[in-house]
Amino acid sequence: MSASKTTGGKAIDILRNLPRISLANLRPNPGARKTERRRGRGAHGGNKSGRGHKGERQRGNRPRLGFEGGQTPFYLAIPKYGYNEGHSLRPQYQPLSLRRLQYLIDLGRVDTSQPIDLTQLVNGRGVTVQPLKRDYGVHLVEEGADIFSAKINIEVQRATEGAVAAIERNGGVITTGFYDFRSLTILCKPVPFFLSGQPIPKRMLPGEDMVRYYTGAENRGYLSDPEEVERARQELAQKYGYVLPDISKDELFHMLSMRKDCRQIFFGLAPGWVVNMAERKILKPTDEKLLRYYGS
Amino acid sequence: MLRLFGLKPCVVPTQIKAVLHHQYMNAELDATNIFTSIRKRTPIVIAFICPDRLTVTYSRSSGPGGQHVNKVNTKAEIRFHVQTADWIPDDVRNKIIIQNKNRINKVGELLVTSEASRSQQQNLNDCLQKIQDIIAEASQKPHEPTEEDIAIRRARLDYMNKERLKQKKIHSVIKQSRKVDFD
Repeated sequence: MSASKTTGGKAIDILRNLPRISLANLRPNPGARKTERRRGRGAHGGNKSGRGHKGERQRGNRPRLGFEGGQTPFYLAIPKYGYNEGHSLRPQYQPLSLRRLQYLIDLGRVDTSQPIDLTQLVNGRGVTVQPLKRDYGVHLVEEGADIFSAKINIEVQRATEGAVAAIERNGGVITTGFYDFRSLTILCKPVPFFLSGQPIPKRMLPGEDMVRYYTGAENRGYLSDPEEVERARQELAQKYGYVLPDISKDELFHMLSMRKDCRQIFFGLAPGWVVNMAERKILKPTDEKLLRYYGS
Repeated sequence: MLRLFGLKPCVVPTQIKAVLHHQYMNAELDATNIFTSIRKRTPIVIAFICPDRLTVTYSRSSGPGGQHVNKVNTKAEIRFHVQTADWIPDDVRNKIIIQNKNRINKVGELLVTSEASRSQQQNLNDCLQKIQDIIAEASQKPHEPTEEDIAIRRARLDYMNKERLKQKKIHSVIKQSRKVDFD
């Protein structure tokens, strides 16, 4: 390339005078591409070609993985026990520490002026939830509770007591909500769902094993009594030794009190509606039977 | 069509009622008593602790634990001046001073420490629980018997006396039956 007198704005002028870019003019930076070691081609790829000397190794006849020469192998000697029994049916929750949440908020990846949902966390690439791997959502954990200082309205699927205390201490609101598999997939990846053209389904209610958790006030469950929740907030403040701030006098009270209905997946969208991304329109059902179904 | 959730008491879906009915076998469940039936027994709290009236300090704990115990301030200590603590009732305050002489220093401050767990927060909770226990112990009143109790006690004493006299009579009859009277 010829020496350039000017850089930046005159780049297009330089480019005009240079020869056309073709395969003959291009080459990678030195050290970018290292030639591979091809087996069976002399010097250090040749001779025995990395196969060793005689025996099963060189002849490619080694026994199966786990074989120990005839000794009872480890995987057969150890007795069976149901450690992993039913593992594919156990609900799992992706942990989210308060430290990570504070990091995301500080970097602006999660917006605190709106209610924080699993969708917001996934959009900000804060957590990765895999519903197909038996994930049922996100578990808020109190690691980093001492440095956490953000007033947020957050909805997770599980939360420890310490995490709840840390959020309420800073004047925020935390709720735990249940999402079944289909709702969770839609919540994590809303755009592909909208592009599929299906109506938004109604969120299913928790199964027998989870009803107790989500109706409990100390877990801030979405099915619990608001009065009990208020009492639980006071008790937690007493237990953890902080003064419970009054949210009703807050300027963001309207945002902090926003909560989803127990059948709603997205804020502002009801079950039964179809979102048309191409034409930016929302279609709502008018048939009486559909309305009764989606309203139940 | 969309049910607004707002701050009104939640409308409990019928499916949840069915599950809870099955689990708890209650006769009638509606939004008013559905939650009381599953509420856990809560610990008794006598006094409302104001966190700003307490002085909390953290320091390093003692005992084994390597680098963690050497560097991290996990021991929690709470102190507050008992006499000026107006959030505790007067009589309870005096009782605390009498019962916890060993925990009160020359200045008159009650000291509570905890280094039971690895976590500073857990130790703080432990200290607060200890303070609640101290207050609960000091507010215990001697149990006064109710009218019912007094009546029951009187009935029992009468019955005991009657039984004693009956046994005495029986014994006397036995002894008399062994006498031989020469008439």
